Amino acid sequence: MLTALLLLLLTLPITGCWDRREMNELGIALGMGIDRVDDKYVVTVQVVKPGQVAEQKGATGAESPVVMYKSEGPTIYEAIRKMTTASPRKIYAAHLRVLLFGEALARQGIGNALDLLSRDYELRTDFYLLIARGATAQEALNVLTPLEKTPPNKLFRSIETSEKAWAPVVSISLDDFVNDIVSKGKNPIISGIRIVNPDEVGASTKNLNTIRPKVMLENDGIAVFRKDRLIGWMSEEESKGYNYITNNVHSTVGHISCPGGGKLALEVVDAHSKIGGKMVSGRPYLSVDVTVEQSVGEVECRIDLTKISTIQELEKRAENSLTRIIRHAIDAGQKKFKSDYFGFGNAIHRGHPKMWKQLQKDWDERFEDALVDVNVQIKIIRTGTITNSFMEEEE
Amino acid sequence: MAENGKISGLQLMVLTFLYTIGTTVLVIPAGLAATAKQDAWLGAIAGVLIGTVVIGLYMGLLTVYPGLSFVNICRSALGKWVGTALGVIYMCYAFIGASTVLFYVGNFFKTQFIPHTPLWCTIMLFAVVVAMGARLGLETIARASELMLPWFLMLFVLLVLTLVPAAKSANVLPVFEVGWKPIFSAGLSFAGTAYMPMVFLFSVLPHVKAPEKTKIGMYVSALLGGVCVILVTLFCILILGPNITGRSMYPSYALVKKINIGNFLQRVEAILAGLWFITTYVKTTFYYYAGVRSLSEILGLKQYKVVTLPCAMAVVVFSLVVYPDVVYMQYWDSIIFPPYIILLGVVIPLLLWIIGLAKQNSQQEPSTSTQNQLDKGS
Repeated sequence: MLTALLLLLLTLPITGCWDRREMNELGIALGMGIDRVDDKYVVTVQVVKPGQVAEQKGATGAESPVVMYKSEGPTIYEAIRKMTTASPRKIYAAHLRVLLFGEALARQGIGNALDLLSRDYELRTDFYLLIARGATAQEALNVLTPLEKTPPNKLFRSIETSEKAWAPVVSISLDDFVNDIVSKGKNPIISGIRIVNPDEVGASTKNLNTIRPKVMLENDGIAVFRKDRLIGWMSEEESKGYNYITNNVHSTVGHISCPGGGKLALEVVDAHSKIGGKMVSGRPYLSVDVTVEQSVGEVECRIDLTKISTIQELEKRAENSLTRIIRHAIDAGQKKFKSDYFGFGNAIHRGHPKMWKQLQKDWDERFEDALVDVNVQIKIIRTGTITNSFMEEEE
Repeated sequence: MAENGKISGLQLMVLTFLYTIGTTVLVIPAGLAATAKQDAWLGAIAGVLIGTVVIGLYMGLLTVYPGLSFVNICRSALGKWVGTALGVIYMCYAFIGASTVLFYVGNFFKTQFIPHTPLWCTIMLFAVVVAMGARLGLETIARASELMLPWFLMLFVLLVLTLVPAAKSANVLPVFEVGWKPIFSAGLSFAGTAYMPMVFLFSVLPHVKAPEKTKIGMYVSALLGGVCVILVTLFCILILGPNITGRSMYPSYALVKKINIGNFLQRVEAILAGLWFITTYVKTTFYYYAGVRSLSEILGLKQYKVVTLPCAMAVVVFSLVVYPDVVYMQYWDSIIFPPYIILLGVVIPLLLWIIGLAKQNSQQEPSTSTQNQLDKGS
């Protein structure tokens, strides 16, 4: 009897603890935006309305699937806590998908703002960092888009999809950014998003009622940082080159011009790159080796794809074109931004640790006058489901 | 003092294995990465090598003083009063050890899961199980750890397999950049956390069937435990990088947060935290068991079980104040603990071993046989 009572007593601690929080007490935050106005942080948090996100038959979607809370404070933590004055539920950040920074804040430096996110126990590190290009983070979160019900999910999914299928896009997580800031041989970068048609109202479900929503969000360019300050934006081609150099291209499509005029699109099936560096007579000597496997994707010129020599010619042209893109990207790093965001410094560190000891203190300046050797190898293996274009017959 | 139970060599191996991993796996990668940067895993290997030497010393001690617990070893080497005084120091350390590990458990929970639950609550729940284990005796503890071993192994294999895809080999390069000194000092702190507290297994060793045969087993299981910690450290470096590893409170927990297989198998860190509960439990229990055994031997009690509950209360209370804050904890662990554990875990056992050897040699001379009997009597 006594044992039975004791066993019953043992069940007491199982019932829960001081920190139990039921589902209906959580304000699940999917997206967070951080801006700065004067000396205060403006934090916007987007919380899902569970009822609206759940798939319902006959749901008209008249109500917005998310609600956004905004508050200001001298520190981010205070601002988020202050949201309880407006929100009936305490913000729960474990499921955060994206963290947006306004461009203005990014230009002042985001390092301090990131501390909370790596210190707080609720957050994981599987969300992406993004910069709202030419806008505040609040404005960018304020756009409802179709297909994905909540804006943060849209941003998360589209950066994931796009990174795998389109070379100029890269995803950056908190850990990537922190590692880059700390390492002396690589400056950080973060992908940007742009609001298409920022003057229209995107925050209402009305935005979804048309086939082509007026306001949309687009991945656009990569922001270049020196330490934690944004210093500029890579163009699309520079971003493409960046991703080829840093081995971040999974699949993409590019074009070359045909020998007799016209264009031909090539799909990248597989791409690998390796960067290295050493010192030759006091000057950094960097190397980029890229190997790419491609297939012919679209032919818009008169060309005989059945000949081996044609394929060899196309490979040569593709190699030249990619070499040019990569050189252009490195030039931008050396001349325009004067910042080694590719990680060449880290490559020297890995390969020649002793040499790196002398180089690391003024690496960014040394990088500017480094010689770069670009070596591209391209194999075109397949031509898709047909050989020659049917347009060939018209000649 | 009666402990009727005997444990088998295999059970001792399981205990040693889990004891080696103990709290080491949760906290030590941070310290290693802070000292040895990307060579932290080399530091871990150095730690295992140092640890092997330490175990060699303990095995030597076991040969010289067969079947004696640590307090009795001190007494037989240094005489009744000095030996007992030394025994008291060890007993105190066992209780301090139990309290600090309890604080680790409570602090881990409070930092990562339940920040608003009072520390005493978590600690008390854990301490109840520890005291229960100690009270039920060595056999129960040994069988419990045999039962926990498959769970541990399953979780560990899951951990390793799911982390492989996220590993970036560039993170460990350049290998051997920091040089010998940081690697050695990292290894020393590893051995100090994982192997030197093994001196407390001397409260268990007298109860092992055929202790001579278990020596190889001790080496093997301590090495295997070390390999587990090396693997976790290596993955911390490969996945988080030396910088984030060195900066984290609990790097291996930060590590399992990274598990993501096809956006499907993810966010399993709370399940994998089960790993540390198992190993931490074994470690705490041993500190605590060694403490109460030593106390009862010092006081000459017939039943060590009578002190298990009062001591548990003392340990719980002490664990609440043992570290005033986490910054002090890190200071203590990195600055004060290493010399302290080297003194208690290496220097003193070494002295005892030398004294024991000297006595053994004099024992072999037939003329001093009466003297030996006096020695034994003291």
